[in-house]
Amino acid sequence: MSRVVLILSIVLLVGCSPDRPTPRSDLNGLLRQSVSSRRDPSLGSRWLASLGQRNGRERVELVDLQRRTPVPLPGLNRSDAQPISVSVSADGERLAVVQQRDDRTELLLYRRSVGAVQRLPLEPPGVPRSVSLDGQGKRLAVQVSRNGRWDVDLIRLP
Amino acid sequence: MISERSGRATVQLRRLSDGTVSPLPQLGRHQPHSSPSLSWNARYLAVITQRGGRRLAVVADRLNGRMHPLPLPGGRAPIRLSLAPDAQQLALQVTDQGQWRVELLDLSSMLEPDRPPGQALSTPAVGADP
Repeated sequence: MSRVVLILSIVLLVGCSPDRPTPRSDLNGLLRQSVSSRRDPSLGSRWLASLGQRNGRERVELVDLQRRTPVPLPGLNRSDAQPISVSVSADGERLAVVQQRDDRTELLLYRRSVGAVQRLPLEPPGVPRSVSLDGQGKRLAVQVSRNGRWDVDLIRLP
Repeated sequence: MISERSGRATVQLRRLSDGTVSPLPQLGRHQPHSSPSLSWNARYLAVITQRGGRRLAVVADRLNGRMHPLPLPGGRAPIRLSLAPDAQQLALQVTDQGQWRVELLDLSSMLEPDRPPGQALSTPAVGADP
């Protein structure tokens, strides 16, 4: 009898427990492969942008979560640049990147369909640190260091 | 964005159209906050909070005022996060054996989708032809 009560209690507890987040084990395995370290995630609708480290060097990487494959980003990753922050639009078409190159920290916009990199100037000048694109990829928020304090600049994109 | 309030890093939600700050009563404590991330229509706000000396990712539902804590297996601490625009997935940066990893969580059993503005729903209208 006590066993029946115990089983019934477990069934009731499981049935009443709140829904919980589920790890995406299939994709998490893929994300661990071929990189020694991965950071700064940014999710689009079916895209994950992040900074992955291979052979001691960090690169901007984009993964198509639906097809479970990495997506090439021709022209974005340069051997003389170190990415610092990345953000992807919901449709995966645009990536905003903060990178360091030649002792200069710069803000870039990458359009995937044309493989073009555009440098976005900051006015007044400052040092960008972290970037966030809106879902439509038409507005960008960037954390900027100016005169020893942090600002957040909003930039409208064409 | 994160701003200092009474010396504590606190998440602040500002409406871009008129600059007004929207109240976030669910997130009035458990500072410092970090790494805020919004869904399409700002129904959901994911952020890293601090509870009892440990960092904890949470998702606040601004429509019904509910909070959804997202404890990680093994007691690992989140470092950064990103919420998918429809709030059906969350990406978390964590530390694993001294290395940074990114892990994805499926939230579809917890949260209703926050669909992009103007997107047609698949449910047919009442009285529509099948």
